[in-house]
Amino acid sequence: MAATTASTPAATATTATTTTTTTTTTTTTTTAAPASKPAKLPITVEKPTPYTFDLGLLLANDPNPVAAPRTADRAALESHLAAVARDGAQVLINQLLTTCPISSTPQGVLLGLPPATTPLPREKPVPDVSNNGKPETKWSAFAKRRGIKPKTREQRRNLQYNEATGEWERKWGYKGANKAGQDAPIIEVKAKDEERRMAEGKSVRGDKRREIRERVKRNERRMRRNLRNQEKAGGK
Amino acid sequence: MLRQIKPRNARSKRALEKRAPKIVENPKTALFLRGTSCSQITQDAMADLYSLRQTHAKRFTKKNPIHPFEDSSSLAFFSEKNDCSLLLFGSSNKKRPHTITFVRTFDHKILDMLEFCLDPETFRTISQFKTEKIPVGMRPLMVFAGTAFESPVPNEYTTAKSMLIDFFRGEPSDKIDVEGLRYCVVVTCDEPTGSASSSADPSAKPVLRLRCYAIRTRRSGHKLPRVELEEHGPRMDFRLGRVQQPDEALLKEAMRRAKNPNEERTKKNISTDSMGDKIGRIHVGKIDLSGLQTRKMKGLKRGRDQQAEDGEDEEEAAVRDKQTKRKRKVDV
Repeated sequence: MAATTASTPAATATTATTTTTTTTTTTTTTTAAPASKPAKLPITVEKPTPYTFDLGLLLANDPNPVAAPRTADRAALESHLAAVARDGAQVLINQLLTTCPISSTPQGVLLGLPPATTPLPREKPVPDVSNNGKPETKWSAFAKRRGIKPKTREQRRNLQYNEATGEWERKWGYKGANKAGQDAPIIEVKAKDEERRMAEGKSVRGDKRREIRERVKRNERRMRRNLRNQEKAGGK
Repeated sequence: MLRQIKPRNARSKRALEKRAPKIVENPKTALFLRGTSCSQITQDAMADLYSLRQTHAKRFTKKNPIHPFEDSSSLAFFSEKNDCSLLLFGSSNKKRPHTITFVRTFDHKILDMLEFCLDPETFRTISQFKTEKIPVGMRPLMVFAGTAFESPVPNEYTTAKSMLIDFFRGEPSDKIDVEGLRYCVVVTCDEPTGSASSSADPSAKPVLRLRCYAIRTRRSGHKLPRVELEEHGPRMDFRLGRVQQPDEALLKEAMRRAKNPNEERTKKNISTDSMGDKIGRIHVGKIDLSGLQTRKMKGLKRGRDQQAEDGEDEEEAAVRDKQTKRKRKVDV
């Protein structure tokens, strides 16, 4: 938030007060300030190109050319660098104190920083959190494609209201609704199905049970396959 | 590649979780290594950088027969073994005296490398400055000055800037104590001089000057303080040597930003005003202006024979009015 609007307050602040060249500000203040107190110290910096900031990183960019003196005199170079540095630090602190929300707490005066905007490479890849870090199973891929949502809490509850009897009953398990009619004394069968069952030596009794068993087995096979795939993907 | 470890107990599980990829990453750990030959100057420089980087740094003192730009596989191994993604490798030989190679890794693979050749003449350690020393773990302010850093195409200077930001950024936090703004790292870069022909000569390349200053704030008479700097050290001048730019695909992967689950998603058309009230703008269909009651005039009145029809018309209009809604601001 603050980083995007960063340049504007600084720009207004810089235009507000006196213009002084950067080198002179440092020299005058170091000598004159302790002697005469009332003189206001300049806190603004004038540069042809405005600074850019990334306050989340406490970073200021000074795109102006650093016109370092081309002399062998090291002291001159150092003082020039110090002047550039002072201007940068001053502008950055101005920007921090003007744009960041300040809160006073018992621990001290805290500055709220915006998130960093400078792109820096990550250390490790972005984790895949969609399926708890595991590769997608066939079912979850299918569900995603079809837009199938996971069942709600109500759907997973093993109780439902039977409109016909006006009672609450279980959906599965002991006296479950999925077993309705299984144990009736007379069950209607289709001739074709009965033929097949006769050939296999089975009867309509327990047919549903066998069907459920088969489904469970099939699901277990799928679970094993998904686990194998996970190991393959994780182990590389 | 280290083998995939399956944790056998809770402690090792925690340890593995700590180094697993995260959405919001921990600060990078810097690993300081030295080659078989490493001059005292380079060692001092590394020691100073280590002290600035403290709490997120590891330092090894044994000699390693590594040449990063020839074979970087052992650096990748060091990165993986120590869970460090920023490596500083100091070495010194006749051809390239006093070099510190910055290496960044992504997923324990080498991302980019850059050689910083230290100028032994101008180098000053922290202990050579007689200022009050900064306590460890402080986040520095960073200032990058010079046109070379602003290059729109990635070159060695932007790489150097990115690496130095990575090195000095410290622990990311959304709040910082004002008292904690204690020191400032300033990197200036000279202007490129001469023509393009001379740029091949390494000595004509602009010099990076790394300076660290302690910040002293003084009352200025304004609302904001006057900032004065005092050199804290180290003082290092670098020429940039060899560079290995990142692999395009690897960099793209490294620059991917994770969706932060804590971050509030910005919803369209919902805003908060200065009083803290939530304001939403909703769409309520097209306004039907045909049923609008305008000023009646006697001259426009219809004849008596049409009145029966009029009555119907009015009813219709009333129904339409109910349906007509306006685009307006409502409190959500």
